[in-house]
Amino acid sequence: MKASRREFLKATGASSLSLMLGGTYSLRVLAQSQDAMVQHEYSGWENFHRNQWSWDKKTRGAHLINCTGACPHNVYTKDGVVLREEASKDIAPMPGLPEYNPRGCNKGVCGVDYQYGPHRIKYPLIRVGERGEGKWRRASWDEALEMIADKIVDTIKNEAPDCISVFSPVPAVAPVSFAAGHRFAHYIGAHTHTFFDWYGDHPTGQTQTCGVQGDSCETADWFNAKFIILWGANPSITRIPDAHYLSEASLNGTKIVSISPDYNASSIKADQWLHLKPGTDGALGMAMAYVIIKEKLFDVHGVKEQTDLPYLVRKDNQRFLRESDVVANGSTGKFYAWDAKTGKAVIMKGCWGDEPAQKGPPVAFMGRNTNTFPKGYIDLGDLDPALEGTYKIQLKDGSSVEVQPVFDILKTRIMKQNTPEAAAAVTGIPAKVIVQLAKDYATAKPAMIISGGGTNHWYYSDVLLRVFHLLSALTASEGKNGGGLQHYIGQWKPTFLPGLAALAWPETPAKQRFCQTTIWTYVHAEVNDEMLNSNIDTNKYLRKSIATKQMPLLPANGRDPKVFIVYRGNYLNQAKGQKYVLRNLWPKLELIVDINIRMDSTALYSDIVLPSAHWYEKTDLNVTMEHTSINMTEPAIKPMWESRTDWQIFQALAKKVEESARRKKFERYNDEQFKWVRDLTNLWNQMTMDGKLADDEAACQFILDTAPQTKGITMAMLRDKPQRFKGNWTSPMQEGVPYTPFKNYVVDKKPWPTLTGRQQFYFDHDTFFDMGLELPVYKGPINADKFPLRFNTPHSRYAIHSTFKDNVQMLRLQRGGPSVEMAPADAKARGINDNDWVEVWNDHGKVICRVKVRKGEQSGRVSMWHTPELYMDLIEGSSQSVCPVRISPTHLVGNYGHLVFRPNYYGPGGTQRDSRVEVKRYIGATPMPL
Amino acid sequence: MTQRQLAMVIDLNKCIGCQTCTLACKSQWTDRGGREFMYWNHVETRPGKGYPRDWQQAGGGWEGDKLKPGRLPRLAEDYGIPADFSFDATLFKEGEQPLRPTEPMQWGPNWDEDQGAGEFPNGYFFYLPRLCNHCTKPACLAACPRQAISKREEDGIVLIDQERCRGYRYCVAACPYKKIYFNPLAGRSEKCIFCYPRVEQGIPQACAYQCVGRARHVAYLDDREGAVHRLVNEWKVALPLHPEHGTQPNVYYVPPLSPATFDANGKPTGQPRIPDDYLVELFGPAVKQALAVLQREIARKEKGEASALMDMLIAYKHGDMFRLGRPPEQRS
Repeated sequence: MKASRREFLKATGASSLSLMLGGTYSLRVLAQSQDAMVQHEYSGWENFHRNQWSWDKKTRGAHLINCTGACPHNVYTKDGVVLREEASKDIAPMPGLPEYNPRGCNKGVCGVDYQYGPHRIKYPLIRVGERGEGKWRRASWDEALEMIADKIVDTIKNEAPDCISVFSPVPAVAPVSFAAGHRFAHYIGAHTHTFFDWYGDHPTGQTQTCGVQGDSCETADWFNAKFIILWGANPSITRIPDAHYLSEASLNGTKIVSISPDYNASSIKADQWLHLKPGTDGALGMAMAYVIIKEKLFDVHGVKEQTDLPYLVRKDNQRFLRESDVVANGSTGKFYAWDAKTGKAVIMKGCWGDEPAQKGPPVAFMGRNTNTFPKGYIDLGDLDPALEGTYKIQLKDGSSVEVQPVFDILKTRIMKQNTPEAAAAVTGIPAKVIVQLAKDYATAKPAMIISGGGTNHWYYSDVLLRVFHLLSALTASEGKNGGGLQHYIGQWKPTFLPGLAALAWPETPAKQRFCQTTIWTYVHAEVNDEMLNSNIDTNKYLRKSIATKQMPLLPANGRDPKVFIVYRGNYLNQAKGQKYVLRNLWPKLELIVDINIRMDSTALYSDIVLPSAHWYEKTDLNVTMEHTSINMTEPAIKPMWESRTDWQIFQALAKKVEESARRKKFERYNDEQFKWVRDLTNLWNQMTMDGKLADDEAACQFILDTAPQTKGITMAMLRDKPQRFKGNWTSPMQEGVPYTPFKNYVVDKKPWPTLTGRQQFYFDHDTFFDMGLELPVYKGPINADKFPLRFNTPHSRYAIHSTFKDNVQMLRLQRGGPSVEMAPADAKARGINDNDWVEVWNDHGKVICRVKVRKGEQSGRVSMWHTPELYMDLIEGSSQSVCPVRISPTHLVGNYGHLVFRPNYYGPGGTQRDSRVEVKRYIGATPMPL
Repeated sequence: MTQRQLAMVIDLNKCIGCQTCTLACKSQWTDRGGREFMYWNHVETRPGKGYPRDWQQAGGGWEGDKLKPGRLPRLAEDYGIPADFSFDATLFKEGEQPLRPTEPMQWGPNWDEDQGAGEFPNGYFFYLPRLCNHCTKPACLAACPRQAISKREEDGIVLIDQERCRGYRYCVAACPYKKIYFNPLAGRSEKCIFCYPRVEQGIPQACAYQCVGRARHVAYLDDREGAVHRLVNEWKVALPLHPEHGTQPNVYYVPPLSPATFDANGKPTGQPRIPDDYLVELFGPAVKQALAVLQREIARKEKGEASALMDMLIAYKHGDMFRLGRPPEQRS
């Protein structure tokens, strides 16, 4: 072997170290060296890598962030050091469907980075510089908690308990952590926050149409579709663990159409990409409805049974014909259709005014509980409701009115306004293409619309979702595997809600103060939404909604918020109207506390920061709506440094409040609103149910035991492998069948939980009339900002909101910092080159960042991956600097059947993407290398 | 020749460019010790300059029985200096120091992400994951003056002996895929090891086993039951990248389909937007037949007929994507 090596060197002249390798290397040499290889004895170096891939402990891990993945992982530890994580690949498969395994993503394999990374908060910190500056002093837990406890007691005593505000979102991903601060707030009388609506993720149009907070199929059901429209959804980037179902469906013969202004990572997988002009989706959808109705491609029986389209509307006042119009002492919640067989108006069964024999308890995520109606209750039987025609009805006062089915009104409008030709002019998609799309969608069975953030963050997103629902209802796609409108935005579904609620608000949610975070921010940050430019006076609707208690505003009685406790969320960084929040809301807050694993923007702008245990240092549950298996995390190591679990932190804070209350001789107070004499010296017992829930794992088990969806599942079972839910929200769980919503109404034919007991498309409410939204209609994007470019803020593949924005590995796979993306033509017109610094501004604020000129972006729009941390490589501002808080008046309705305020069930969002900006090259001082 | 060759097929119709493979690899092998800039596995947007920049123009490989000259990529210009940050100054010290790369990034492993070629609305791009091809005729092995590079008998994995390597970098120049990296701290060249410690235990490579697009199949090339043999030799839908370099790569790709282009009136033409010529450039002329087979089999599925090929690519059971000839149980 040595000889051959000498020959090799001689033959190659390698000692010259000429790196421009020439023809001196030949196959002969290769043959020689291969001989050498055969004789080669492996040396010890190979054990180096074998040792690298070894561990002495394997534990369960989940990523407890605002992510919809809920990806079961194993965490590998060696000598007390967590090395890495890997998808555990043990979600049970379903027959005939590709399995969920492996579930994970680029971020998920770097979860350990936040454990050992430089962002980690190690000790309690007290601010000594300005808010946001980063100048801290280390404090003891005792000192920090005492400061917070004293301020809490003083605020309750001198101001009001609702001046204390606790913000923590997304219970589904870490319900015990979530419950910790909520339970604390619950017992001291503080208010907590909504989040799903505030993030703009709430599918308000679905709540309007279906009477549920929202519900979607688990993603394995995508594979069952024969035709999929990706409508403003980019799963390759925003639903990484689920996107394989699209490519697998495609290989299985499913046609996929991607509707998106830009050519993106999901469009490239589609059979067809349709690049409509931003915000014109509703025009396309209504034109599809035109084709489906005109060509009679709709499911007549489905429309008559499952929707309010046959319901009669009075021609004189445009209101539904109600029983109270016709009969003395009639119900205002019972509605009529015209039975073509008998030629009579008949009351449709299952309306709001129709009660089941056994009334079920209220359900937080439903407009009303219709579960106790018998199966088949809304079956049409011999009834044949008319969809068209004008009929005469005699009212109770003897007069008569003409009435007309909703369908007739809708059809007349659609035929007039929504021709494919009209839509072509608005959307930029040729009429023939629209017609073909509508036919393909209506004739493929089952057909699914998958919508996402791209269609849910507009000012008029609610009516856009109603348009999607109209398409889905016309084709009778709901409640069927592989069909329906399925929206994916937000991590909103703690399927085990009853268990969670019992842990978070033990005296029932009715005795918990909830603010509506969008309203809270809009009012206290004194946001100027400039909607008067679009002739909409937001404040008029808002004042009325609050005054009539349709929506809450806290603190009550015109007080300012004083104490703000934020944990498991990055309120400031994510806040729309960020400029207003920093300028107007932040100074009102006398104490801002942030509890966190890392120093995010909210922590940086806080007064006291407390170190929280990382996901691999605590026990908690983790679920999602994207699959139906419950997943858990457990400590691989003890909480590092001085960190503690959230469940333990709020217990410790409870003890400190007890001490402070005694010291300040303010041990009890009467909470008049709830007629509740609160004992501040008994908080720890209340927090822990007299010690029974003191342990994190006991709290997990309490949730599982208390929720019917999980009863019978133990933590030991979850340690073994993920366990499927036993029940769900609007459909039963069926063995081997993916969950899809609304089977309770479509298959079992119980009333939909809406005012009309059907998928509701007509809203005879003043605000809806005012806004021209009583029926599905196309509403364009708003132009309240007088600037030329639309500002789009999609979610990035390298972050989950702000989490992982600051991860070094992610930044190296991008360009080292945030950027705004613009079309080549728009850049050229402004003299902007790729990677330049640019200024993006409107009347709400300004962001200065790098630009990426991207070929697939549509001209007329710029996109910035949403919410980089404020401290990242930005010269000024961030993506939320140019986004105001814009409240749609229809979201403020809280006095109409199923449209009522309940936390995260119904309330205003704030329309992230309906802003306009201008961009120019930044010519100020740009950063030097550090 | 080696007795057996472990090989990989990557289905580009399932790759979503998420970089989970990239980071599964990196967090296991290359996140420290002078390896920060190197990605044994990465995903690049095609068409594009790739990583390292312009690797396709950097030479290497074989011309008949001769090694072709190759160029060494430069750290800053071609790989990109990995961004580093001063978190402490930003988050825990006074002053408003933003979190900014200490050296501004001018290039990186994914600089041209999602760019591609062509003009809106007919532009096109797709993702190409790349790793060491563990070639049957490795140019790197031939080029190494130290005989530090070997190809294992039992599985054909090509390794650089870290004790023999002196960092001469002939291998880097010789590799036409530029998938060998010089570790400036260690003074040695390093590359993908096909996760041999895992493979030895019957566990697939980190990149393949963690691929959430479920795009990667791993099996021995001679295993007639394995997906690799069936896709490469029977269905002939999986092709090596740049076969003209003559190294006989053992990573194969199922070529990408693409949405139709639009005509001047905005109507879809029915023609795929990725030009065949470009795919021929990457995968050789056999790509046309491969695409035709894929389209034919998808059409079968659309009509409700059976297709063994599509079922294999769909991969209902994750475990079916891997046959490593050893018990598949994960070590505990």
